[in-house]
Amino acid sequence: MNGVLIRLTARQLLGQKRTVLLLLFALVPVLIAVLYRVAGNDEPQRWAASALNARLIIGTFLPLAALVFGTAALGSEFEDGTAVYILSKPIPRQVIVLSKLLVSWLATAGVVLAATLIATSIALWGEPQDGILAGFALAVVAGALVYCALFMWLSVLTSRALIVGLLYVFIWEGVITRLFAGVRFLSVRQYTLGIADAVVDVPARVFNPRLGEMEAMVLAAVATVVTLYLAVRRLRRWEIGEAS
Amino acid sequence: MPPAEQRTGSIYDLGYRRYDGLRLGRQHAVLSLYFYTLRGAFGIGRRASSKIIPIVITVIAFLPALIQLGVAAIVSDEVDVIRPENYFGFVQVPVALFCAAIAPEITGRDMRQRTLSLYFSRALERRDYALAKLAAFATALMVLTLAPQALLLVGNGLASKDLADYVGDNWKDMPRTIISGVGIAAAMGAVALAIAAQTARRAYATIAVVAWFLVTWPISGILVTEVGGAGRAAALLSPFDFVYGATLWVFDVEPDRDSVQDLAEIPLWAYGAAVAAYAAAGTALVIRRFGRIAA
Amino acid sequence: MSAPAPPIAVINVSRWYGNIVAVNDISFALGPGITGLLGPNGAGKSTMLHMLSGFLRPSAGELRVFGESAWENPGMYRRIGLVPEREAVYPFLTGYEFVLLAAQLQRLPNPEEAARRAIAMVELEDAAGRATGGYSKGMKQRVKIAAALVHDPEILLLDEPFNGADPRQRLQMMAMLREMAAQGRTILFSSHILEEVERLAEEVLVIVAGRLAASGDFREIRKLMTDRPHTFNVRSSDNRTLASALVADPSVYGVELQDGLLQVRTGEFAAFTMAIPGVAREAGVSIYELRPTDESLESVFSYLVKR
Repeated sequence: MNGVLIRLTARQLLGQKRTVLLLLFALVPVLIAVLYRVAGNDEPQRWAASALNARLIIGTFLPLAALVFGTAALGSEFEDGTAVYILSKPIPRQVIVLSKLLVSWLATAGVVLAATLIATSIALWGEPQDGILAGFALAVVAGALVYCALFMWLSVLTSRALIVGLLYVFIWEGVITRLFAGVRFLSVRQYTLGIADAVVDVPARVFNPRLGEMEAMVLAAVATVVTLYLAVRRLRRWEIGEAS
Repeated sequence: MPPAEQRTGSIYDLGYRRYDGLRLGRQHAVLSLYFYTLRGAFGIGRRASSKIIPIVITVIAFLPALIQLGVAAIVSDEVDVIRPENYFGFVQVPVALFCAAIAPEITGRDMRQRTLSLYFSRALERRDYALAKLAAFATALMVLTLAPQALLLVGNGLASKDLADYVGDNWKDMPRTIISGVGIAAAMGAVALAIAAQTARRAYATIAVVAWFLVTWPISGILVTEVGGAGRAAALLSPFDFVYGATLWVFDVEPDRDSVQDLAEIPLWAYGAAVAAYAAAGTALVIRRFGRIAA
Repeated sequence: MSAPAPPIAVINVSRWYGNIVAVNDISFALGPGITGLLGPNGAGKSTMLHMLSGFLRPSAGELRVFGESAWENPGMYRRIGLVPEREAVYPFLTGYEFVLLAAQLQRLPNPEEAARRAIAMVELEDAAGRATGGYSKGMKQRVKIAAALVHDPEILLLDEPFNGADPRQRLQMMAMLREMAAQGRTILFSSHILEEVERLAEEVLVIVAGRLAASGDFREIRKLMTDRPHTFNVRSSDNRTLASALVADPSVYGVELQDGLLQVRTGEFAAFTMAIPGVAREAGVSIYELRPTDESLESVFSYLVKR
């Protein structure tokens, strides 16, 4: 890790406009939880686990926030042409990747965790928690790390990392994993849900994780390490693009 | 210094000639931009890496049709044919992804490369530029909404025992399919382009378009299914929901039980009106944006 | 003991993109001093500089910086300063912060001091507190140079460094580069503008269509091109007599008399300059001035490009 790079990346990612937009973005699940409470429905645990956390936050908001931060941390430097300033320094490439990852992970986890905590608390106000708050809070923090590592690798691999990441999230994880259970081992969403399942006390079928707790944790760790290794390897052999 | 009368200046004839031929004018310029943009939407005429993403998304839109035709060919007995109105449910996600990936290319490229001034100094007017870009993008989206259905119609017709019978049974769906496909392309395309045109940066534009599709969706869902009351009008907020409602209206089909369109309890024609309103508003915004942008 | 490795050694290097050859079997070695990398647009200058700075892998051959490979070797950046062609900066950083960033990433013991010194070298003190996003092209160019030399590198690689600089800044930057070269640094800069290279570079590398067309002192290069006539302007006490005497000399192609000026064309530079004093003495003519007309880099260059 390199403190200078971490501060630089934080200033890049948390520019004023972007931060305001992301806080608005984090407000959406909170707003939805408020609307849900106002409507006064029964079975709030079930709703908080399946609709709010599993579908809305883990299915949509977590990957989108990770996509924004994970691809921007390094990807925007390639796009703007500033990458040469950090690459033409005697810094080991793994330090660059890890520093960039740390900031994008903290930013993603910060936004999504805030949304999860506030929205879930509102949805379960005065109700038994059943470990939903703690379980999904842990899950989104872990999931944010895996997603950020994956999207950072994509951003070193291709200039269209954002679109490739969208295809991964909404076609691969959203459609293909649902149709063919055999590929659930390659779905970050399933890792995240599996980790939540380890803590959450509602029956698993409520939000339907497709991986066991241990499987999910091991696969999440493996996926993070492998994508980071690939990102570092690719960055070591990074070639400057022809003037486009 | 030599005396003044000795100084001479000459202009040499280098053989440049004025163009005296026919000028094809504004209409031709608009059409050229339209076809150029349409080709560019699929990466035609660009390098291979710009083709991959539009082609992959287009293939995804065709997959349900290909799978159904494949199953029908293998099993050959009576197979459940995908109904046209249901097919629009399948292509919504690819259409949204196509908007997110390609709309920023349609508008952002000229802003980033500062080529807008070159267009506006030609026979083309600002409004023409906006409309040509919009028309080309909507046409590209129609490739996703209509072409798989055309394939399905021809494929199922050829696979059926009697082609004439099949056409006789299904001809009524054709105008409805076309109206739906054009409506989806126009509404989603116009709004996506209006959003994407606000920024030259590709990443921001992509995220903003995605946010329009994905942030409104759960809000509409929760307002309609859980909150009810006046919140039911939120079905008109989410592109996935209002577009599907409009398709149901065009095909004169009742919504499924407990679907958003069922629970919203608003008349189906309202979705059709919403599609028209979104298309009009998006078009107006795109024209406004390119009318004011500093070129 | 073997001799120390030269700062830059390029050995049979080629680079191709698919079917397009950008750099074709180039070899050269550079030592301290200023070298200009000259060539028309698209000749392969940037590809060459990118390979030297470790941002492109050579398709064939080797690039060595102080004896070490330039590819996958981030450690070499301690001794190299790089000024890229793109004028991108971090728009939210001030000029000082941008240079300080480079100093800190180089892990210098006193980065603040080094940053201030580098900014003073490019005379950017007045703008150092402003965000670089609002800089003009020339200021961006200078702040990039300051960031590249903040760690006092032994090698400085500059890709089109004078783009966007106004004439005064250009002179100032040239003076600074000359001073750095005088301190024993190896400086390589690319340019497609002859005047810049001619004024600054002691040595040139001419790249045409991916191949090294010439290297060395450009006046020496010119002399080597014996198959192209050289033209000399001569002023003497008696041009007419000298002209008739010179026509007889085997090294002379032709003479021309015009308004008191004698123009002589010759195929052999060395032979002609050796012969002319003797011819003049025999003819009883004194020479006031003997000047080669086309020794500018322009003529060398256009000759090489056309060949």
